[in-house]
Amino acid sequence: MGDSAYSFSLTTFNRTGKLLQIEYALNAVANGRTSLGICAKDGVVIATDKKLASTLVDTEQVRKVENITDGAGFVYSGVGPDYRVLVRKARKSSQSYYLTYREPQPVSQLVKGTASVMQEYTQSGGVRPFGVSLLVAGTDADGTPRLYQVDPSGAYFGWKATAIGKNYVNAKNFLERRYQEDMELEDAIHTALLTLREGFEGEMTSQNIEVGVVSTTDGVFRRLTPEQIQDYLDEAS
Amino acid sequence: MSRDSNYDHHITIFSPQGRLYQMEYAFKASSTASGLTGIAIRGSNSCVVVTQKKVPDRLIDPKSVSHVFSITPKIGCLATGLTADCRAQVQRARYEAADFQFKYGYAIPVHVLAKRIADIAQVNTQSASMRPLATVCLLVGVDDERGPQVFKVDCAGHYLPFFAAASGSKEQEAVNFLEKKVEEMKGFGVDDTVRTAIMCLGNVLGSDFRGTEIEVAIVEGKAGKFRKLTEDEIETHLNAIADADA
Repeated sequence: MGDSAYSFSLTTFNRTGKLLQIEYALNAVANGRTSLGICAKDGVVIATDKKLASTLVDTEQVRKVENITDGAGFVYSGVGPDYRVLVRKARKSSQSYYLTYREPQPVSQLVKGTASVMQEYTQSGGVRPFGVSLLVAGTDADGTPRLYQVDPSGAYFGWKATAIGKNYVNAKNFLERRYQEDMELEDAIHTALLTLREGFEGEMTSQNIEVGVVSTTDGVFRRLTPEQIQDYLDEAS
Repeated sequence: MSRDSNYDHHITIFSPQGRLYQMEYAFKASSTASGLTGIAIRGSNSCVVVTQKKVPDRLIDPKSVSHVFSITPKIGCLATGLTADCRAQVQRARYEAADFQFKYGYAIPVHVLAKRIADIAQVNTQSASMRPLATVCLLVGVDDERGPQVFKVDCAGHYLPFFAAASGSKEQEAVNFLEKKVEEMKGFGVDDTVRTAIMCLGNVLGSDFRGTEIEVAIVEGKAGKFRKLTEDEIETHLNAIADADA
């Protein structure tokens, strides 16, 4: 960012005290494909709609759910290329953490660092905010499962269940009705798929969604394979 | 400034709806500027790129007019859009590929190069100081582990792996043609892949060609090099297509 020719911020306050570029960035997120996450008592699940514009795309090689550390993963809604920048920075910074402290970075610290980067882009010279909201799934240092949402402003919150992207209002209402405090991971995965299907245009298959799961038994974040997703879809119908 | 929404057409900041106008304009430029259509298809063991060869003036040396570039001996690129922007992106891609080879001691895989170019393109959509490049690149190569690969990298920094892809002015028509054949194409050998690509281009442009009017380039097999077909080789394929129709 230091080599931008612009030395002034493009995101500035308007007369009523709003930072319009951030609001517009949130609109960009709301235009993106739906993603959601649920935090169960023994794990976290995040899922996204991976519907791509054409059957010519090799969907197996496209990744929206990404590992950042062994124990934490991201998914997003919004502008894909901006997401890749955040994934790369998050991976680098968590490796740097490991190098310094010789232990994996806890998910809460990972979220803080990423949110801080997103905030910088709302204030630094010559750049625009990221057009993505992130859902971060992982387990904290003490093993507690955590789900965070990070917005283009750099604000982040821990959630029990949340949805972002197109149709997120309906998805969140659906989740609110179905969420229970003592939910188990398997139930959470089922609920996540049901919620995703609610707003899905067309048929939902194991090829046009992606699911990431971290369980407290081993604390490892994994993407489900298409076969595993298919099993869950078969059970649901 | 509540009036800053007037600048959203000039630099890459968000519009009130959350759109990036400069990026959309760059897309427009990349599809209309050169007036060309590019097609790339992935077969069972090879990749093919095809585009028209339009020489704007008879005094121009035809050998110097080309939108097909080799990035490394094994990776090729079909770049459509503003010619100067295409050249700039290709130069950067060549540099990145060579730097990878230098640092890591082995040839850059296609998907890594595609991601790198896409990430570089993304910077121009977020930083106001440079405009996005009005170029869409179709990168092809045969990967050691994954087999033949076609990647499309666009002005916004999106990159996706394709079974078959198109770019340029008749992109949508080409995609419609290719979607109907996508399952068949996965099993094609190199000749069939070349002929399907040429047929697709002929179909969307509504005309037949001579060997001098199109550029065709292939990379075949894991050991193959990216190379352009000679006019005679193109003629052979055109004749085969004509015979098959007749």
